[in-house]
Amino acid sequence: MTILEWDGYQAAGTKAQTYKTVVFGKDYTDEFGASGLTYSLIQNDSSAINSVRTGKKFDVLHPCAENFRDYVDGGFVQPWDTSLLPSFANLNPALVKGGQFNGQQYAIPWDWGYGSVIYRTDMVDPADATGWELFWNPKYKDRISMWNGATTNFEIAALKLGFPQMDNLTNDQLDQATQSLIEQKPLNKFLWASEYTNLQPALTNGDIWIAYSWQDQWVYGREHKPPIPFNFMQPTQGRLGWYCGFMLGKDTANYYHAHKYVESYINHAAALSLTNTFYYGSADATVKGSEIADQQVAKSLSIGDPNVLSDTSKVHLQSWEPNEVAVQTAWEKVTAA
Amino acid sequence: MSAAGSRERRSASFLRPGSGLLILPPTVWVLAVLVAPIVLIGLYSVNLKTNLLGVPTAFSTANWKDFLPPGSNPFWDRFKISMTITLVVSVVTVVAAYPLAYFLAFVAGKRRYALLMLLLAPFFTSYLLRVIAWQVILNNHGVINSLLWQLGLRPHGDGIPWLIYSKFSVGLVLFYSWVPFVAVPMFVVLDTMDRSLIEAAHDLGASRLTAFLRVTLPLSIPGVIAGFVFVLIPTTGEFITPLLVGGPSSFMFGNSIQSFFTDTPNWNYGAVLALWLVAIVLVMLLLFGRYLSTDLEDAAT
Repeated sequence: MTILEWDGYQAAGTKAQTYKTVVFGKDYTDEFGASGLTYSLIQNDSSAINSVRTGKKFDVLHPCAENFRDYVDGGFVQPWDTSLLPSFANLNPALVKGGQFNGQQYAIPWDWGYGSVIYRTDMVDPADATGWELFWNPKYKDRISMWNGATTNFEIAALKLGFPQMDNLTNDQLDQATQSLIEQKPLNKFLWASEYTNLQPALTNGDIWIAYSWQDQWVYGREHKPPIPFNFMQPTQGRLGWYCGFMLGKDTANYYHAHKYVESYINHAAALSLTNTFYYGSADATVKGSEIADQQVAKSLSIGDPNVLSDTSKVHLQSWEPNEVAVQTAWEKVTAA
Repeated sequence: MSAAGSRERRSASFLRPGSGLLILPPTVWVLAVLVAPIVLIGLYSVNLKTNLLGVPTAFSTANWKDFLPPGSNPFWDRFKISMTITLVVSVVTVVAAYPLAYFLAFVAGKRRYALLMLLLAPFFTSYLLRVIAWQVILNNHGVINSLLWQLGLRPHGDGIPWLIYSKFSVGLVLFYSWVPFVAVPMFVVLDTMDRSLIEAAHDLGASRLTAFLRVTLPLSIPGVIAGFVFVLIPTTGEFITPLLVGGPSSFMFGNSIQSFFTDTPNWNYGAVLALWLVAIVLVMLLLFGRYLSTDLEDAAT
C-alpha cells in the first residue's frame, strides 16, 4: 500500500519508524509484514492536497481536518466501512462527526494537538514571550523560524492582528495579514520545511530560539538528555488546534488491507502509544489520563480531553478555508517579497 | 572550406529526397516535449485550463495584468534578485573556470583527459547530495564554524551569520556546481585552437602575456560565451539550491514557480511566472545562441 503520511507516524515494524517503542501499525505489520508499505511524507497540508490534485494516488491518506472537504469534493477518497473497524466505536463522537460528509464516514480521526510558539527559555526574555507577536520581535532577528506552511502563517498573523475569523479573512484582512507577514519575514533565519531535519536540530543546538511547532518538540526537549529548556507557549490570543484522520483512496486496490491498517492505528494500545510518544491527543476516548506516562505534560496539554479544541478562549481550531487560493497566492507574495 | 560553402552543402543535403523523414523524429520530439508543454502552460496562464475541480475556465488576463506592470508585486523584486545572483554566479564561474580550462589545454599535456575526468568526477554524485554536503560544511555548527571555534577565531557557538541561508551560500553552491561544467566548452575551444597562431605571435616578438591577450583570449571567446550561457540559462530557473541553503531573503524566482505548482492550488499564476522565465531564456538564447555553434569557424565570424 502507498500511504500519504506525516513523518514519525510510519507503522511500527517498518524501517522508517525510528521510535522503537511505538506500537501503532504493529498489528498490521505483524500480520502482513512491513515490506508492502510505502510512505510518501507530507511536508505541509497544502502540498499534500496539491500532490493529490496533480494525480498522485494513495491507498491511505492522513490529512488534517482543514482539508477533509477538499479531498471529498475532489473525488480523491471514498467512505470507510466502519463495520470493518472494530475500534471505531471507541472514537470521540465530536471528532468522528468532523470526518463525516454527505452522511458517510470519510475520515477516521486519530490524532489531535496544538500549534504554537516553542522557544528556548534560556535565550528568550519571559517578558517577551506572551503571544504570537514574539515572531515579530526584531530583538530575535535570525533566531526565529516559522513554518513553510502557508495557511498556518496567515492564521498566526490573523490571531496577532485580532481578526476573529482566522480561516475566513476578508480581502482587506488578507492584505493586512500579507503585509504583516512580509514585515516578519526578514526576522526568520529560515522557514523550516521538515520538523525533524530542519527544525529540531536548529532548536536543539541553539541556532534557532523561537519557532512555530507542535507539542511533540516540547516533549522532545523535556526527554532530551540533558533536557533542552523549551517552553510551548500558551499565547494570550490562544494556541492553534488541529486534528487529523485517515482517508481511504478512491481507487485503492487494497480496500480491506487499508481497513486492517487503520484499525492497527486506532485500537487502544496504538492510540496510547501515539500519546505516550508524541504527547498528541488521541481520538480514542478510552485512553484515560491515568494511562499517560507523563502526568504533568498530560495535564498541562489537557491531552485526555479532545473537547478542549472547542474552547475558543484557549484554542482556535484550524478549519477549512473558503478562500484557499487567495491565501496561498498571498503566501507566495510573502515569500517572494 | 568556407563557412558559406559549408552552409550551402548542408542546405543541399537537406533538400535531397527523403531527407525530410530524417528531421521528422526530432521535430516530433521538440513539438511533444517543448512546444506542447509551453502551449499547455500558456493555456493555464490565461485561465483556459485550471487544476482546480469545479472552478470554471474562461479566458482571462487577470494574472498577467497582476504580474506584468514592473514593480507592481513582489515577484518582480524576486526576479531582480534572482537575475542578479544568476549573473554574478555566471561571471564568477567563467572567470574561475578559464584558468582550469587553460591549464588542461596548454599545461596538462597527455594527462589532460584524465584530469578532465577528475574535474567532472563530482557529477557522478547526485546534485542533491552535493548540495546537502554543503549544508554540513556551511551550517552554524558545521565544518567551517567549528574550525573557527576550535582555532579561537570566533567565540564558541557564534557562527558567521551569512555563511548559510543567505545569498552568499546560494551563490557559492551554484558556483561550485557549475565550475566543471563551464570549464568543458572553454577547454574544447582552447584544446582545438591552432597553436601555430600563438607560435607566430611569439615569432613576431609578442611576449607570453601579449600573445595570450591578442591571440589566445580572442580565439577562445566563443568557448567563454558558451560556458557563460551554460551556467546562465539553467541558473535562471534554479530552485533546489536556494531551497536547501538559501534563506527567506535568498529564494529565487524558480522557487516561486515551483511553489505555485506544488504548494499552491493556483497553477494559473504559476504559469504566468513560468512563461515569463521561458521568455527571458529565449531572449538569452537569441543573444548568445550563435556562440553555442559547434562549428568554431561559424561561431567566430
